[in-house]
Amino acid sequence: MISIALSMLFLPLLSAAVTLLFLRKNGNLASLLSVSTAGGILVLALVLIFSDNPVPLAWDTTWFAMGGWELRFGFLIDAPAKLLLFIVAFVGFLIHIFSLGYMADDPARPRYFGGLSIFMFSMLGITLADNLVMIFVFWELVGFSSYLLIAHYFKTDEAAKASRKAFIVNRVGDFGFLIGIVLTYWTYGTVNLSELADLADFSPNLATTGLCLALACGFVGKSAQFPLHVWLPDAMAGPTPVSALIHAATMVAAGVYLLLRIDFLFTEEALGLIAFLGAAMGLYAGFCALVQRDVKKILAYSTLSQLGYMAAAFGLGAPGVALFHLTTHAFFKALMFLGSGSVIHACHHEQDIFNYGGLRKRMPITALTFLIGVLAISGVNFLSGYFSKDAILLWAYNFNMPIFVILYAGAILTSIYMFRLYFITFEGKARSKYAEDAKENSFLMTGPLLVLAVFSVFGGYQSLYPDQLGAYLGPDLSAVSLLPHHMWMIVLGTSAWIIGLLVAKTLFSKVLQDDPLARRFPAFYELCRSKLFFDEIYQIYLSKIQDPLARFIEVMELLFISGLMVRGAAGVAALFSMLAKLCYVGKIHAYAFWFILGTLGFLFYAAGLVGN
Amino acid sequence: MTTDALLLLGSILIPAIGSVLFFGGFAKDEGSLKKLGYLVFGFPCLASVILFLRFDGSAGYNFEVLYDRMGLQELGITFHLGLNGVSSPLFAMAGIVGLGAGLAALHSGAERMHLYLALLALMQSGLMGLFASVDIFFYYLFHEFALIPTFIMIGLWGGRDRRSIALEITIYLTLGALISLGGLVALNILVDAPKFDFPSISSALDQSSLTDSAAFKIYGLLLLGFGILVALFPFHTWAARGYDSAPTSVSMLHAGVLKKFGLYGIIQIASPLLPDAALAWSPWLMWLALGNVLLVGMVAVAQTNFKSMISYGSVMHMGYCFLGIGVCSVLGVGSTVMLMCAHGLSVSLMFLLANFVRKRSNTLEMDEIGGLGEKTPLLACFCIAATLATIGLPGFGNFWGEFGIFLSLGESHEHQIFLVLAALGIILSAVFGLRAIAKIFFGQESEELRKQAKESPIADLSRAEIIPASLILASLLFIGLWPASISDRINNEISNRYSHLQSKNTLSKPSCCPVDEDVKPTELSSSTSD
Repeated sequence: MISIALSMLFLPLLSAAVTLLFLRKNGNLASLLSVSTAGGILVLALVLIFSDNPVPLAWDTTWFAMGGWELRFGFLIDAPAKLLLFIVAFVGFLIHIFSLGYMADDPARPRYFGGLSIFMFSMLGITLADNLVMIFVFWELVGFSSYLLIAHYFKTDEAAKASRKAFIVNRVGDFGFLIGIVLTYWTYGTVNLSELADLADFSPNLATTGLCLALACGFVGKSAQFPLHVWLPDAMAGPTPVSALIHAATMVAAGVYLLLRIDFLFTEEALGLIAFLGAAMGLYAGFCALVQRDVKKILAYSTLSQLGYMAAAFGLGAPGVALFHLTTHAFFKALMFLGSGSVIHACHHEQDIFNYGGLRKRMPITALTFLIGVLAISGVNFLSGYFSKDAILLWAYNFNMPIFVILYAGAILTSIYMFRLYFITFEGKARSKYAEDAKENSFLMTGPLLVLAVFSVFGGYQSLYPDQLGAYLGPDLSAVSLLPHHMWMIVLGTSAWIIGLLVAKTLFSKVLQDDPLARRFPAFYELCRSKLFFDEIYQIYLSKIQDPLARFIEVMELLFISGLMVRGAAGVAALFSMLAKLCYVGKIHAYAFWFILGTLGFLFYAAGLVGN
Repeated sequence: MTTDALLLLGSILIPAIGSVLFFGGFAKDEGSLKKLGYLVFGFPCLASVILFLRFDGSAGYNFEVLYDRMGLQELGITFHLGLNGVSSPLFAMAGIVGLGAGLAALHSGAERMHLYLALLALMQSGLMGLFASVDIFFYYLFHEFALIPTFIMIGLWGGRDRRSIALEITIYLTLGALISLGGLVALNILVDAPKFDFPSISSALDQSSLTDSAAFKIYGLLLLGFGILVALFPFHTWAARGYDSAPTSVSMLHAGVLKKFGLYGIIQIASPLLPDAALAWSPWLMWLALGNVLLVGMVAVAQTNFKSMISYGSVMHMGYCFLGIGVCSVLGVGSTVMLMCAHGLSVSLMFLLANFVRKRSNTLEMDEIGGLGEKTPLLACFCIAATLATIGLPGFGNFWGEFGIFLSLGESHEHQIFLVLAALGIILSAVFGLRAIAKIFFGQESEELRKQAKESPIADLSRAEIIPASLILASLLFIGLWPASISDRINNEISNRYSHLQSKNTLSKPSCCPVDEDVKPTELSSSTSD
């Protein structure tokens, strides 16, 4: 069994290495290799999921040992790991296939597919790792592959800035995560997840809020939560399939996955904070999404908002529900991102939704599948999002009213901005030449859409999940089904998406080139456009604090260390040499004078007149 | 003498003989110059890698060479070579970086090439000897062999202000070397050891204990001297100016290998011999090291020149090494050795690549380049890999060193403040490293570059450039993917050498006690009775 896990993990790394070494010029072969690797991963993952394997499954090899510290390379393939493994392998495979069509004309395909393979390697690593340090290792590596893929169109300033921003903002989160890991080791004596779980059961008083918040910094960075959310919208500068895979379905969700891997370390206070921040993110990102014009930015803010829902579910003590929402979100958000990719590809990389319009007739499969995604995320009854999101809402309704109110408002917003996106893009009349000429894409691109649409419809029925996948969700979901106020929740949930649909229909069903919101509610529109000035604040920090501070320290270094200390020391030496040089003037009179002075001094000294 | 010992001796002697041959003008035309160059730099690399693989992994010296009739035995000085767990990976690193620097020099097209190669080969011989010496006198002597060519080469082949920089670096480093020599000699005289090497001094120390104040002063001298040589804040200003101006091969060898001399001295000699003094000095050392990480790191952020940025970045990472030494635990010191190896490789790779960039753009001012990535994808690839290695991405060796040092800082409460402040460095290095990549390789081409590309098309890396770069990069990846390959031998040697330190430092166990077996049943029964 361990050999299957190992070969699954290292297969994509090998594929990336082969691409880098031999296939740099050969786009066709590189893409074929990468896609078949993804297929191989899916097969191996399924074998691994549906076979009984010992937990924990460890490859008994010391990776790094120093002093008393030892790091082993091990896997923990339990129920949540299997579910995420399935999502990564399955959605990853579909997105690889989609990329074949989407990137067909790109000259830099080897780089792109090599990057995707590195990403698969790192993401599988996070999924399977059995200790925090291994998670951290792969954590940084997904950050690297994300950097590489965001920078795919590196000639544009946008991509150059966004890739750097994503990596550095993530590093800020990793700074806290790293400290958290170190403190965890010295508090518990291990970083192994299973051992930690046992120890935390024994002595719950070891857990401190500071420790788990430090660990949660990793989540805040990777899942782009407040206040480190600024990188995700910019990351949309990368190719669209990358946004679907990394920045929607899997990598950003890894933050939530990290939380539920270490949920036993969390204190009440920390959980409360995470729940509140998550709910606030759910609402805030909804407002931001409402006023975006770029189709990918809308979806990015929507991702932020949904991640907020998962964080809220986790913070309210329902990690199973959080993972459930993570799963359904992976299906419908990947579906919508790929749908937007299909539209973008058909419209020659036009991304402003106000330049689309009427695409339903020209791209029927894309439109239909996209609509399914929209319905699912809005929580339309009996689609996947309905089950997972309403489970979160119901849980919040029963345990924390203020958070429920925020989340509910967010749910209404979600359906407004999603139907807005749908109406403006697919209904009405074409508003640009590109949109008029758009044609449905090849089966390479519509095929994955259809498959994902099926999963977006049926992904919410937990009873359909095989035992191996659904085991972790079971307890929390049955707890949800026992909660009171079920009927009331169905009414509330249904009215949320209907309100959203009606608002979107009245506002956005007939639009021209400008946003009706800007015309009707200019103040509200501007406030949402500002995104509460986070980017500006960070920009001010960079240009007004960090850079001047760096220059100031450089000047101080030059002045005090190079100048005063080094030159100063050299100056003192030079002064002595100058004084000494005064004696050597090269005239016999002077030397005679010094000679006499010296002799006199000696005589005085000998006579006891000086000294003693 | 065994074959292994012959390899060890040969890796020092062949560059030395090669140096004489180059100097004597035995290789006149370019072809024979290159052939000799391949031999002179290739042999130490090959030998060091073979010896690295053949090392048996336990504590103590392997492949020993001993010649004690040099006429200096009255002074306790013998010609004694050998490799232990700490020096073996560093020796291999010196061989690999030496080959990279040698290949770069052979293709550099420098004027008076034979003299250039003669000095570089002499430097290489000194570097190999430095890490292979058991005897402290020879350890120091080999360092001088490597150091003096540096001054001459900066003075002759350097860039801007080469004369004044050569003078500054000479005075600065000679001063540092002199102070550390003073410390070493004082140590030898005060403990009255029969031989001038670690085992003798160590056993002599056991019998005649040094007074605490003498130990404190000697350690202080050694720390100051070695600290100057390693560019400890605030004695670091020579480094950035020096590397900036030095020719590529010299920057590679000096920043990558020679600068490790001081750290190596503290780790192999000073700290294990004078553990109490090391603990007493450790707060001073660690605050200064934070100066390296944070202040020099900020200075690196402010740089606009690629090579200056690399220089300051390399000085910044020395701060981590000093932090690891300051912790005075096996984990901290061992991780420092890991970082020394990885840093030597990564920083020399960066200097090598910076030269490739300069060849193509004629400048290293980052604002004036831009958009190089399209013309030279392979160079961009190497540069991104090297930069990410420098900023501690897992998969490259530097990560394990830095991570181990951070981990060791978390051990005691008074060090945790250093953990938090030093970890800020991972953000700082990402800021300046990725900014450089984005400015040089991403975005649109600059005007200057476009003009220049019209005159002579900009080519991607040639084979002669790929080979040294991939040699170093592969070594970095090797350590990164399989850290146990070097960490095991380092661990054995450091645990052995620092055994008395460990018994004094009672912090080796985490604060959480081993789980008490008796608690479990009672807790379970109480929960079932509910």
